[in-house]
Amino acid sequence: MENLDYARLQMAFTLGFHIIFACIGMVMPFFMVVSHYKYLKTRNPIYKKLTMAWLKGVAIFFVTGAVSGTALSFELGMLWPGFMKHAGPIIGMPFSLEGAAFFVEAIALGFYLYGWNKLPEKFHWFTGVIIGVAGVASGILVVSANGWMNAPSGFDYVNGEFTNIDPVKALLNPAWFTQALHMTLAAFVATSFGVAGIHAYQIYKNRNVDLHLKAFKITIIIGTIAAFLQPISGDISAKDVAKRQPAKLAALEAHYETQKGAPLYIGGIVDQENQKVSHKIAIPKALSFLAFGDFDAEVKGLNDFPEDERPPVAIVHYAFQIMVGLGVALMLAGIIYLISIKKKSWLQCKYYWLIFVIMAPMGFLAIEAGWVVTEVGRQPWIIHQVMKTKDAVTPVPGMKYSFFFYLVLYSILAITVTWLMQRQIRSLNQKID
Amino acid sequence: MLYVVLFFLLFSLLLYVMLGGADFGAGIVELFASKNNRANTRDIIYKVIGPVWEANHIWLIILLVILWVAFPVYFNIIVIYLHIPLTLVLLGITIRGVAFVFRHYDAVVDKSQFWYNWLFRIGSFMTPIFLGLSFSALINGKIILIEDHPSASFYDIFIQPWFNVFGLLTGLFYASLCAFLAATLLIGESEGKSKQHFSKSSATFTVVLVVVGFILLTYGYSFEIKFIQDFIVNPLALASVALSGILLIPLWKFIKQQRKIASRYLAGIQVILILFAAIVTHFPYFIITSNEEISILENIAPESTINNLGWMLIIGGSIILPGLFHLMKSFKMIKILEKS
Repeated sequence: MENLDYARLQMAFTLGFHIIFACIGMVMPFFMVVSHYKYLKTRNPIYKKLTMAWLKGVAIFFVTGAVSGTALSFELGMLWPGFMKHAGPIIGMPFSLEGAAFFVEAIALGFYLYGWNKLPEKFHWFTGVIIGVAGVASGILVVSANGWMNAPSGFDYVNGEFTNIDPVKALLNPAWFTQALHMTLAAFVATSFGVAGIHAYQIYKNRNVDLHLKAFKITIIIGTIAAFLQPISGDISAKDVAKRQPAKLAALEAHYETQKGAPLYIGGIVDQENQKVSHKIAIPKALSFLAFGDFDAEVKGLNDFPEDERPPVAIVHYAFQIMVGLGVALMLAGIIYLISIKKKSWLQCKYYWLIFVIMAPMGFLAIEAGWVVTEVGRQPWIIHQVMKTKDAVTPVPGMKYSFFFYLVLYSILAITVTWLMQRQIRSLNQKID
Repeated sequence: MLYVVLFFLLFSLLLYVMLGGADFGAGIVELFASKNNRANTRDIIYKVIGPVWEANHIWLIILLVILWVAFPVYFNIIVIYLHIPLTLVLLGITIRGVAFVFRHYDAVVDKSQFWYNWLFRIGSFMTPIFLGLSFSALINGKIILIEDHPSASFYDIFIQPWFNVFGLLTGLFYASLCAFLAATLLIGESEGKSKQHFSKSSATFTVVLVVVGFILLTYGYSFEIKFIQDFIVNPLALASVALSGILLIPLWKFIKQQRKIASRYLAGIQVILILFAAIVTHFPYFIITSNEEISILENIAPESTINNLGWMLIIGGSIILPGLFHLMKSFKMIKILEKS
């Protein structure tokens, strides 16, 4: 493997790591303030304990997200100086706004963490709300920069020079809205089901059921709402990709030949050499309809693109299938929860809880798969149709070692955080029993 | 607008050097504290820097964003030629940050505290050292731009610019500055025995700071490092360093009189003076490579970008600074509004 491959691996690994922590750090404050609100209203000490437990989670995830985010802002330049040199002045606006939002979040976190019994109750609660709002704002802003890579705008590209730069237009690039909506909902789905699953496991094990049931309820309601909204946003995203990045759409559907009334493949094994997909379920004309809202619309196949401008098909197709499949599964889990509101007897059934335990990591897997779709699907471009990834990579040799360095560091960090969470839950159960 | 952006660049640099520095310094003070004092130091650090340390480190991100948006040439040189020391800076930031939170938010207090403590201390010490090494590489004239010397080796291009005695001295200088700031800050928040302890360490680190600073200047002068040579003949730079030295006397008086807020301001002013001296010497040529001096005002981003960034910084700053100020006031880092 070359330097470029290791640089890409490192970027993928560190981004993949950061995304999980950032999503949790972004969504968990909302659980915390809901529980805190219930405490202020009912003065039930269980809600206070739950708030404090989630708060510790927020603190741990926030710091891990913050340090890995700091590392990423360096890495963008350290791995892709060719990209940052030109892109920096164009997409600086989302980053500077994101920096401001992140700052607000850190300030609010300082107030919230250290403000117990020091600040007026309502103001203290409100600083918790700010943490969540500022976190979501940072997420939305940073996705704008990624949207710009997919839909570059706000500049003219003439003879290899970037001129006529309009940072506002770059911020408001056409991919931003769809991507930000999809990602924000994904963060809510994944974190809600993740946290709900952890509490479901405690209920399954019959530990401190009173508290965990309250925690489960808060999280699963938020998760279910987000899971039902997600397909709508997915549809908007697909239509958007079809319009702007036809090669990506073709790759995620493993669609080789241009045709009218194109079928939708579900599953299937991609044979990249012979350009065939076997073992699939094909739904006639569905791809044309989903991509363009017309059963007979023409969908461009990969063969219509020059060979050096096609993304790796198999990875993108599989990742897309995984993302959609998991999204559907999470929606089904949401339906099961909704039914259980009427059928209370289900709550006594161990298998009911087991379903949510199994679903706990699925939202995060879907997020990772989704990022593989959008990032690998854009290849070989780092800026769609403008700059290739290989032209942006750092001239510093030895990225192999850099990759392994981050692999080891972040793996240790991930293990430690998981271990810490386990200890939090154990002590939470002990304190009350 | 360019000067607004430049102002915010220097402003974030100053605040990062000071506030981030005080955070690193807290770990250094803890590292060099005697065994008996460590547990106590740890608790006071938690109380004093706990609420603000995360905000303090965001200045680094602001600094970085301004560099890459407005000054792409500078940013590019930094991320390519300082790849190795910056990776080590990131390692330091990561381990000290997570260790600090882990040691205070771990639900169980057991042997793992030993590891958190040591990671926090070592991370706090190594980060300013490598920040200093990175900064020294920009000004010591050893960076060889690859276009100029395609035959130069990996060592010449990516290691030798920062891996040298001058770099190490710069790193030690910054680390002792951090420790000095932290000790001065911590004196005000402690009582009785620990107050004595911090006064002692503040005194020690002041001496270390002055000695290392002197060696740094002498070394730089005698080994013909252009930045230092220019520094020593610049009357404005010399005057501010001298003033900063003189201010040590009232600083010690304030500390003895327990005027903690006044002493903090004074320590802050001293850092500003040192930074001012470093900046004024070579403005606007902050990067000195093997064969040229690169101005920060040349090859900058287009005007539309600079204007946009300037406005963002003004708007962002007017939201953030009052919030930050309120945060620090609430947790008694500053007390300007209270008359007592």
